[in-house]
Amino acid sequence: MIRFEGAGKRHPDGTVAVEGLDLEVPTGRITVLVGPSGCGKTTLLRMVNRMVEPTSGRVLLDGTDVAKLEPAKLRRGIGYVIQQAGLFPHRKVIDNIATVPYLLGWDRKKARARAAELLELVGLAPETAKRYPFQLSGGQQQRVGVARALAADPPVLLMDEPFSAVDPVVRAGLQEELLRLQSELHKTVLFVTHDIEEAVRLGDQVVVLREHGRIAQLADPHTLLTTPADDGVAAFLGRDRGLRGLGLRPARAVELRPVSDGLTYGGWELALDDERRPIGWIDRDAVTAELHAAAGFRPDTDTLRTALDAAVLSASGVAVALDADGRATGTASREAVLAALRPEADRTGGAADSDVADSGEADSADEPDRASQADGADGG
Amino acid sequence: MDDEPIVRWYWIGDHLGYLGHLLADHAVIALVPVLIGLLLAIPLGLACARFPRLYQPLSAVFNIVYALPSLAVFVVLIPYTGLATQATVMIPLTFYALAVLLPTTVDGLRAVPESVRQAATAMGYGPWHRLTSVELPAAVPYLIAGLRVAAVSSISLASVGALVGRGGLGYLFIDGFQRTFPTPIVAGIALIAVLALAVDLVLVAARRLLAPWAVREKGAGS
Repeated sequence: MIRFEGAGKRHPDGTVAVEGLDLEVPTGRITVLVGPSGCGKTTLLRMVNRMVEPTSGRVLLDGTDVAKLEPAKLRRGIGYVIQQAGLFPHRKVIDNIATVPYLLGWDRKKARARAAELLELVGLAPETAKRYPFQLSGGQQQRVGVARALAADPPVLLMDEPFSAVDPVVRAGLQEELLRLQSELHKTVLFVTHDIEEAVRLGDQVVVLREHGRIAQLADPHTLLTTPADDGVAAFLGRDRGLRGLGLRPARAVELRPVSDGLTYGGWELALDDERRPIGWIDRDAVTAELHAAAGFRPDTDTLRTALDAAVLSASGVAVALDADGRATGTASREAVLAALRPEADRTGGAADSDVADSGEADSADEPDRASQADGADGG
Repeated sequence: MDDEPIVRWYWIGDHLGYLGHLLADHAVIALVPVLIGLLLAIPLGLACARFPRLYQPLSAVFNIVYALPSLAVFVVLIPYTGLATQATVMIPLTFYALAVLLPTTVDGLRAVPESVRQAATAMGYGPWHRLTSVELPAAVPYLIAGLRVAAVSSISLASVGALVGRGGLGYLFIDGFQRTFPTPIVAGIALIAVLALAVDLVLVAARRLLAPWAVREKGAGS
């Protein structure tokens, strides 16, 4: 656990970067510091590995004041990932990843074997090992940066806007990758970003900062989106908070109707192929048997936002639940998707935020009456 | 020189051994100072990168040295190092090489992106350790670019040493001029050009070998 105790930073010229912050960063979770530039979030991050020394208060790492630890030693035990990756241009990827093991005095063979493991862990091909950083794309460089930070298996990971220099598609991939890694590794992650979208996507807890490192709100992403502390936080969260909040809740909370032949939904019939994959919706009242778009979602991995999106996109207003092979396992109308938002349905969704990442109960689609069970339990 | 042809090939044929001797002497006089300059530029450059306040005064000193006419410096040194000795010519050439190599070394060390420097610090490199194992290797393309300039200018400057009795191929220019006989002058120019070209090729090859990761960066001062 990292604990900030009145940690503040005043520059020699008198300007205040951080006034004095109290914050607990729980072990094994992702804590995101988010705020506009100049809110002191990077300063706070760097206090942890003593790249910035607080001028007041202190920072404790597992109960020990970091000021009492030798900086180089402290830093070798803390992974650090930055925006531009900061890979060593003159070293091959494999030796970049093995940097901290080399510094810790591991022998070359062991360090490289460990680096090769990490290369695989972050999803890079083995032949990448022999390349130089300039031969990699931005996204690949960032993966190497993450691998390098993890090389000596540090319990703590500091990440300073690590994904903000890559394009949105690559960024989404890297975020997903981080969540996957975290579900295996359970590091104590302190993550800095100015992107609120990224913050609610990655954080187990999100700390919204104002200037001088004052906490505007500390909450889990769902609470943050639904009940911002004040107008300032609401403005920072931006438009469509409610809809974006749906993106944090698993679609498996949606009550599904079973698919059966000849079933109609207000005059619409779902057409399936021989493998039971949806082909489209047929308007029973129309003269021609024209196929209309059918959009689907995967209850075990997707979020309520995707489910609602599918329902909105479907000509019939009904989303089709699909299994991993794209076969229809059930249907849900817009109303059914939104019904999953009822508080009692929320509980079956579990601790919504963390469950999106690890697809624990993969076959919840086969339990269409989960929500109603919860209803019953609540009533009784 | 009216009736005299530009080149009398028989003279070159008769003096091959002599020309070879002058070429070797020229190479030593011109290139040893560049090597010594490099060996001095690296620690001085590291010190300047570590303590930036050193750099301004040091580079000012070397700029002034660089501005001094080489012949004047040779003459001043004669009482101490002797007439027609290698030292008389090599000492000033070392300073000239250093004047070129110190700024390129410092530029190279500073050219390392800030993100790389911060990543190194965050992983537990101390300041000196970081300079020697991250910034210095990353500065190799700059060092080699500086060496190419320093080597070529040193090869050219060394001929002036002939005026104080030790100038390698430069002696051919004095000889040819005094006898109104252009052949040695042409031979001297050709050999100096060949030497400069050969050294440059060696340095380009060294860059490929030592910094294969920099092949893409054409802008490293070269």
